[in-house]
Amino acid sequence: MIENLLQAAIIVNILGSMVRIATPLLFAAMGELVSERSGVMNMGLEGTMLTAAFIGFMVAKNTGSLLLAICMASLAGGMVCLILALMTITLGVDQIITGLALNLLASGGTLFWFRLSYSQTSLENTPLIEFLKPVDIPPLSDIPYLGKVLFSHNLLTYLAFLVVPVIWFFLYKTFYGLQVRSLGENPKAADMTGMSVIKNRYIAVVIGGLMAGLGGAFVSVGSVERFFPDMTAGKGWLAIVIVIAGNWKPGRIFLATLIFAFLDAFQLQVQSIGVQFPYQILLALPYIVAIIALISGRTRSDAPESLGVSYHRE
Amino acid sequence: MIDNSSIVIETKNLTKRFQNVVANDCVSIDFHRGEIHSLLGENGAGKTTLAECLFGFYQPDSGEIYHKGKRVTLSSPRDAIKLGIGMVHQHFVLIRPFSVLENIAMSSLKKSVLLDLTATEQKMGFLCEQYGITLDLHAKVWQLSVGEQQWVEILKAVYYGVDLLILDEPTASLTPQEANQLFSVLGQMKKQGLSVIFITHKLKEVMDISDRVSVLRKGKLIDTVMTSEVTKEDLARKMVGRDVVFQIKKDRSTIGEPILKATNLRTQNDRGLDALRGASFTLHKSEILGIAGIAGNGQRELFEVLTGIRRLKGGEIQFNGKSIINNSPEEIKNLGIAHIPDDRISEGLIMDFSVADNLILGRQRDKDYRKGPFLDRKKIIDSAADLIRIFNIVSPSPLNRTRFLSGGNLQKVILARELNRDPKCLVANQPTRGLDVGVIEYIHGRLLELRKLGVGILLISEDLDELFSLSDRIAVVYRGEIVETFNTPDASLEEVGLCMAGTGGVSI
Amino acid sequence: MKLKIGFKVEKRKNVSPAAQIMSLMIALLLSALATGLLMVIGKANVAEGFIAIYKGAFGTWKASIESLVKATPLILTGLATVIAFRARIWNIGQEGQLYIGAITAYWAYTQFTDLPPAALLTTTILFALIGGAVCGFMPAFIKAKFAVDEIITTIMLNYIVIYFLSWLLSGPWKDPSHYYQQSPTILEKAQFPILMVHTRLHLGFILAIVAALILYLLISKTPLGYEIQAMGFNPTASRFQGINVVKTMLIVMMISGAVSGLAGAGELFGVILRLKSNISLGYGYTGIIIAMLAGLEPLAVIPVAILFGGLINGSFLLQTTTNIPSALVYVIQAIVLLFFLGARAASVYRLRITKSD
Repeated sequence: MIENLLQAAIIVNILGSMVRIATPLLFAAMGELVSERSGVMNMGLEGTMLTAAFIGFMVAKNTGSLLLAICMASLAGGMVCLILALMTITLGVDQIITGLALNLLASGGTLFWFRLSYSQTSLENTPLIEFLKPVDIPPLSDIPYLGKVLFSHNLLTYLAFLVVPVIWFFLYKTFYGLQVRSLGENPKAADMTGMSVIKNRYIAVVIGGLMAGLGGAFVSVGSVERFFPDMTAGKGWLAIVIVIAGNWKPGRIFLATLIFAFLDAFQLQVQSIGVQFPYQILLALPYIVAIIALISGRTRSDAPESLGVSYHRE
Repeated sequence: MIDNSSIVIETKNLTKRFQNVVANDCVSIDFHRGEIHSLLGENGAGKTTLAECLFGFYQPDSGEIYHKGKRVTLSSPRDAIKLGIGMVHQHFVLIRPFSVLENIAMSSLKKSVLLDLTATEQKMGFLCEQYGITLDLHAKVWQLSVGEQQWVEILKAVYYGVDLLILDEPTASLTPQEANQLFSVLGQMKKQGLSVIFITHKLKEVMDISDRVSVLRKGKLIDTVMTSEVTKEDLARKMVGRDVVFQIKKDRSTIGEPILKATNLRTQNDRGLDALRGASFTLHKSEILGIAGIAGNGQRELFEVLTGIRRLKGGEIQFNGKSIINNSPEEIKNLGIAHIPDDRISEGLIMDFSVADNLILGRQRDKDYRKGPFLDRKKIIDSAADLIRIFNIVSPSPLNRTRFLSGGNLQKVILARELNRDPKCLVANQPTRGLDVGVIEYIHGRLLELRKLGVGILLISEDLDELFSLSDRIAVVYRGEIVETFNTPDASLEEVGLCMAGTGGVSI
Repeated sequence: MKLKIGFKVEKRKNVSPAAQIMSLMIALLLSALATGLLMVIGKANVAEGFIAIYKGAFGTWKASIESLVKATPLILTGLATVIAFRARIWNIGQEGQLYIGAITAYWAYTQFTDLPPAALLTTTILFALIGGAVCGFMPAFIKAKFAVDEIITTIMLNYIVIYFLSWLLSGPWKDPSHYYQQSPTILEKAQFPILMVHTRLHLGFILAIVAALILYLLISKTPLGYEIQAMGFNPTASRFQGINVVKTMLIVMMISGAVSGLAGAGELFGVILRLKSNISLGYGYTGIIIAMLAGLEPLAVIPVAILFGGLINGSFLLQTTTNIPSALVYVIQAIVLLFFLGARAASVYRLRITKSD
């Protein structure tokens, strides 16, 4: 009897962690989907999330308001992507190199700013914040097992899961969504209808940035009490992989995110149980799985046909 | 009868430049209500540029456009569409993964929040019925044939109500029969008061369907005349600026022994669909074998299989008795089969290389061009200088970047490079597409020369006139098979056209 | 008739070498301004800051030599990037390839410790090259066989290699006498010879210069180099005209990985002298920046890498003098790249004055 409970408790733990871990990935992947559907690939997604995580932390530390921190983090993400848009859409710089440069700027910039702000503090006095606590939804969270897995998370998690159907509806059921999708397939055709390719790509990219910013906010302000350099640890890259693995469709992306999150939650559980296993393999697992996912998903790619291609009229 | 008092749109001294090139030079034309007005000219004459200015895609650098008497500035196609101007481009601007309905809905000027395709479907169904067009509205565009895609483009323009329709080379990818259907629909529309600007370089079409024709040459308007008052020769002279020879004098030389034998070729295209379904032909020495067909019936895949770029899934290719299936492009070239690809800029040349480097493209490892492990730059440049001279390539020096050459000269570089290998066989895919008459004549001349020297030439072309004037035999490819091979002197345009459409012709 | 004078922005067809150098100059100038701004925000004296950077970089003979030491791995990762990017292969895995080079070299060192110094040296260098080449080969193979883009696979491999190293250092290769995850010190006989007494300038620097020369000759003077450039400019035409694009890609990635691997060996056997989890301080990514600023020219990588080496060196003196964190150097690197890209892109446009009525 106790053994059954223990088993159930572990599974609930893993699934609950899965939902939590999926949060930043969902935000980032959905945002990236919108951006890529308009034809722009954000290779600087990692840097975007890191910048947002840092800004979120700083605002929380200096104002104490988590809501403000989350909003500013989202805006920060939008700003980084605005720079990306300026360089790739208006100036026509290659999307890949621009993204990498922004990653490096974010990595160095957040490190610099963090050290500058807290250079006097010793190891014992590292700056801490109160991070976002889970919120139960009274009737639902009392459901045995399922309640704990699905309905005892913080606001950002609930928001992340809501975002999935919202983005799906936006892309496939609204007129503007149709137009955004056309930008990624054939921008000249979109141009012919009188739609401003440039303006609308900017909008799509910034939307992607705002959402990635929310993802970054979760990584810092939504999960832990401190900031440490490069704390996004490749989540941005995983989000890009997830979009590819999900074949640019919201439903598939959602599934892919859950699978990655599940694996990560699983390895965390294994670590905490203390199995005699080199923990490094478990840490490397998401990245290995990412490569495998890319290899196996190559049969028919529904990538937007003009993804990564700059558009000029003449 | 043309109603002279109602001018739908006119340009006054319209000029449009692209960097150093003047695409339209002070062009003034008026287009009347209820007329089919042809814009005639060679490639590069400025026809498409003018049309794009009328459609608001380009903005003229100087000059004015008047629409129904009022001066207008068209800063985007949206403005033109609002005025009732529609355009069907030569290269379709359709969204291939979207359905027909989604493509039509995209152009709506009304911005609703939700996407509702039912109204679109109803109206489209009505239009299709009215003009006798059959179209699966829910099909994705990439699933449609080229002809069907063209109808989508036309209906897209008509759907939102146009009284001026601009068509840019609409018959480029149509069979003669499909072209006729288009003309009859245009005639129907004309009776309803629609004006049509018909851009073309085909003299026959101009004579057949237009009321008036404006001839453009090198950006300037040469003349605007009533079609009934001119002859084909007049128009040709205006178009080119000199008398044009319509038929190249070709010697009747005797065809030699077989050099390239293809049997039952089978392969798929990039989308995994069958492109070649058992095509067979034999090419002989001293022969030009033309391959006729509507684009998309397997010509591209045939070219790629013969040049080693695409894997053959079935069948056999024999060159001088030896099998060459699935040889690499390098091996095939070394065996003596040269090729001229369809798209010179993306498939035939490295635009950022110098002309000299492009002239050895494919032979960079040859002992002739090497000194030890390094390239012998001096030899490469000297060899290039020779070729430039022999082939009359206009380029200040062999070290010039290739991207500064004109289209005709680019093709000459490819030709020079390939012929410098002393090939025994040449596979040419649309070798004269998009070139001036002067260069076309030159290339035709060299091809006939090669033929005399014993080379076997496979000429894949969408230009039936070219095929008829150059080839000894014409093979028609339809849905991946060679359905019929004609002896050119005995063949007629109608017969070949019917074969291209998959109807008629004697079964082999 | 009123005369309207307007401006039109036109796009040129390509960027001339002169424009590239101009862009670099502008980028450096703007970056210097931005750096000054950051110093102001950091409440430091701007003049003091810049002087500290200069002094720390090239102010004394000793400092300059140390800058060369810092530049050594950067030259190599820069070169690794150059050859890959020239073929339009987006290898972002220099970091991982560097570490694998260090790992395989270290392994060889543990296996062949008894060889005489010259032979041991050659062996470790050889294994570094092989390890890096294999690490570069993998993503290329995946791309060739499965059509998966190399950007993501190389980045994923970076993370995987770091964890692999961590396992090695906490298990089989751990130094039992230390708490931290690191290997025992490397014996003197296996260390790279020092080129100048009382400095840290080691054999790796010579190897880096030699590598630059070799890559320069390879790219601009050999048929393979011709094919690499052709691939980079137009992969389709290269394929059509008989160049074996797949084979060339595999070769390029192996060379690229090998060069990065050499950088790893250099740091391990020349500077740090133990295998640690932070042999590289982002040298792989810095190499990408350097390659771009050098216009993807192998010989130009050398001065740019030395400049960056100087910056890194100078940033330490900056921190001790003005309390501005040395991490500023990472910000400067990224800003320089962004400004360079922007300036280069902007130089493609020119203003044309139009007259209309």
